[in-house]
Amino acid sequence: MAVASISSNRPFDHRIFAVEHQRRRARWRSAAIAGTVTLLAAICLYNILVIDTDWERMGSLGEVLTSIGRFLAVDFELIPHLVEPIIETLMMSALGTALGAILCIPVIWLGALNITPSRWIGYPIGRMMMTLSRSIHEIVWALVFVSAVGLGSLAGILALAMRSIGFIAKIIAEAIENVDPKPIEAIRAVGGNRLQVLRYGIVPQVLPVAIGVIIFEWDINIRRSAVMGLVGAGGLGLTFHRQMVMFNYPGVTTVILAILLLIILGEALSYYARKAVI
Amino acid sequence: MPILDVQDLTVRYSRTGPEILKGVSLQVDAGDFCAVIGPSGAGKSTLIRCINRLVEPISGRILLYGEDVTTMPTRRLRETRRHIGMIFQEFNLVNRMSVMDNVLSGRLGSVGTMRSLFKLFSREDIERALTLLDRVGLSDHVDKRADQLSGGQRQRVGIARALMQDPKLLLVDEPTSSLDPKIAREVMTLIRDVAREFNVPALVNIHDVQLATEFCNKIIGLQGGVKMFDGPTEKLDRKMLETIYAMEVL
Amino acid sequence: MQYMATHRPGGGQPVERRKWSRFRYPDTLISFGVQLGVLVFLGVSLVYMDVRLERLLEFGQRFVALIADRYYPPELSLLSEARYLQAILDTMQMAYLGTLFGLLLAAPLAWFASFNMTPNRRFLYPFGRLAIMGCRAVHEMIWTILLVSILGFGMLAGALALTLFCIGFAGKLMSEEIEAIDKGQVEAIRATGANELQVFAYAVLPQVRVAWTGIAIYTWDVAFRAATVVGFFGAGGMGWYLQRYVQQLESQRVAAVLISIVLLVTVSEVVSAWARARVAQAK
Repeated sequence: MAVASISSNRPFDHRIFAVEHQRRRARWRSAAIAGTVTLLAAICLYNILVIDTDWERMGSLGEVLTSIGRFLAVDFELIPHLVEPIIETLMMSALGTALGAILCIPVIWLGALNITPSRWIGYPIGRMMMTLSRSIHEIVWALVFVSAVGLGSLAGILALAMRSIGFIAKIIAEAIENVDPKPIEAIRAVGGNRLQVLRYGIVPQVLPVAIGVIIFEWDINIRRSAVMGLVGAGGLGLTFHRQMVMFNYPGVTTVILAILLLIILGEALSYYARKAVI
Repeated sequence: MPILDVQDLTVRYSRTGPEILKGVSLQVDAGDFCAVIGPSGAGKSTLIRCINRLVEPISGRILLYGEDVTTMPTRRLRETRRHIGMIFQEFNLVNRMSVMDNVLSGRLGSVGTMRSLFKLFSREDIERALTLLDRVGLSDHVDKRADQLSGGQRQRVGIARALMQDPKLLLVDEPTSSLDPKIAREVMTLIRDVAREFNVPALVNIHDVQLATEFCNKIIGLQGGVKMFDGPTEKLDRKMLETIYAMEVL
Repeated sequence: MQYMATHRPGGGQPVERRKWSRFRYPDTLISFGVQLGVLVFLGVSLVYMDVRLERLLEFGQRFVALIADRYYPPELSLLSEARYLQAILDTMQMAYLGTLFGLLLAAPLAWFASFNMTPNRRFLYPFGRLAIMGCRAVHEMIWTILLVSILGFGMLAGALALTLFCIGFAGKLMSEEIEAIDKGQVEAIRATGANELQVFAYAVLPQVRVAWTGIAIYTWDVAFRAATVVGFFGAGGMGWYLQRYVQQLESQRVAAVLISIVLLVTVSEVVSAWARARVAQAK
């Protein structure tokens, strides 16, 4: 063992050698990891850059720069037409978050270990629903709902709601699991029933967390609601899509700027709202 | 010529904030083991951190071997820091690195950037680190991680790291306040002994007057950012201590 | 609570009678106002967007019916076709490259964008912040569409879009980790005469290494989820098939693709949660 050979009862030279040997081994280990990562990257790069990419169609660097250049303008005429989609996007995100917050109540009930009705059936189902909701991309959710309820913002709202359930439910369920048991005991002691325990023992402790996470999720949902339209679920995404299809590149830039504005607004609002709650 | 000559040092943390140090001057000569004492909040830590400019003074001069530290450009400052060893109250070891790497990090100022990024230290450096670890009594902890050691052992690593720099001056900031009294005495003894062996003068912040008078040949008393006392340990009397601490001592 | 009993139980002096009410002057009013405002906004939204709640009620059965006659049975044989397996491999490659390059770029940007450790306050700090914020604010699907329109269809656009996405996603988390480190260790390394890069390697990196590893795994997870979809907008991988079958209304194949996406992403999420838990334990 290298460790033993550094110890003080060996000749000094041996110990130096042992230290150096150990350091070399550590370096080789890092080099091996780095090498593997690089090798994998090289394979992927080869597949993507050499096999998959049609360099001739892309054209020279100049042509690529020109196509980037097309975006560097703002279409001022579009701005009045953006007001409605912006409002729609904002409302979609709010409704989606609200619906998600309502729908996550049963999921939390199932998936929080200390209030779940059944540890062996309810709890795994609740947890699975959380994972499923979070692991499916919002675009996939939107596709599902567009095909179910047709084009329009309802599909977007439902998609956002489904996507939000997982995160909101997970955070609140964890907060409930970490709740301070003393107030609950106190309410039991004065003779409260199960529902009263929930109302007076758990809800007050969890409420700030819940409001915080809902506001946070709303902030993220603004960003998501802006792309719902790409698959036909209304809002700014739809405008973006139209501009793209019409090859109106300055218009595309304008829509992106509008989205940025909305996101910055939402971020600032949610920052202050969360500060007010906490 | 004194090794360290601090002249009229004034420090404020913010432009309008209170002055932490108000025109402090002091000198450290070769062979000095000089204590800075004073109540907490007197500006001891700030004074020591000014000398290698971890804290920027707003006026005054700090002459190290005749060269003014306060006006040095960044590159020269780094070169100077290389020659000033520092030992901290909270040890400030990099917890997730091995004891060996912590000691070797004392050489960072002298090793090329590229070599240091890959932890490529020369055999001489490793030899020196091992010798120093033997000297501070940590022969059997060379490849442990720093956070596996006890407080006293960590401070010993800190001492070895400072000595690794082959310093021309040691700055020691409350080396014992995080340790229990017995260990504190051992660590203090170790610092004094190595300072003698390596022939480095030291400036030691210390809260404990007992330790200061026992180990140091020279004492500087600070109170509220003002120097109240400066002289050999024998001259420090009870009355002076009462002035410095503005209360009954012991 | 301001509530006080009118009499001490011990029967001592009667205490001055205080009024207690739930209503407290500005606080309750503001809180009611905000609650009312949120509800009104949601109500107006419902009306404005013409969402019919009753449709939602019948939605459950319609959903089941829809799945039963259109999506069922999913054409699972698609999943074992060579070209689809290739698409899965493509997806993984895009996600891998996107995560790798995203993390490699995010690390220095996170360093620049941390207010406590930034090597240069005047230029690099705002640059780092802006780069991370810019990558983050634009949704990964919008990056994909833009890059596809510039570089053409294919995995290159997807990998680049994922790279940008990962920079924004990981960069923010990583710089937050740097902002939480212990300053003492930094001071000690700086006192040895180390330069900024050495301070980063010796004082910052060891402190954030575990957290960054966790973030890296998490980033892979999120990037893979996005990679399954980028193809929908022309960037290769599984999403490409999704888009094709959606447009051709081959619902049973769509169902098969969706099932494969959900399955893969869930597996990846479970594995990464396990890996992150192990990393956190290792400390």
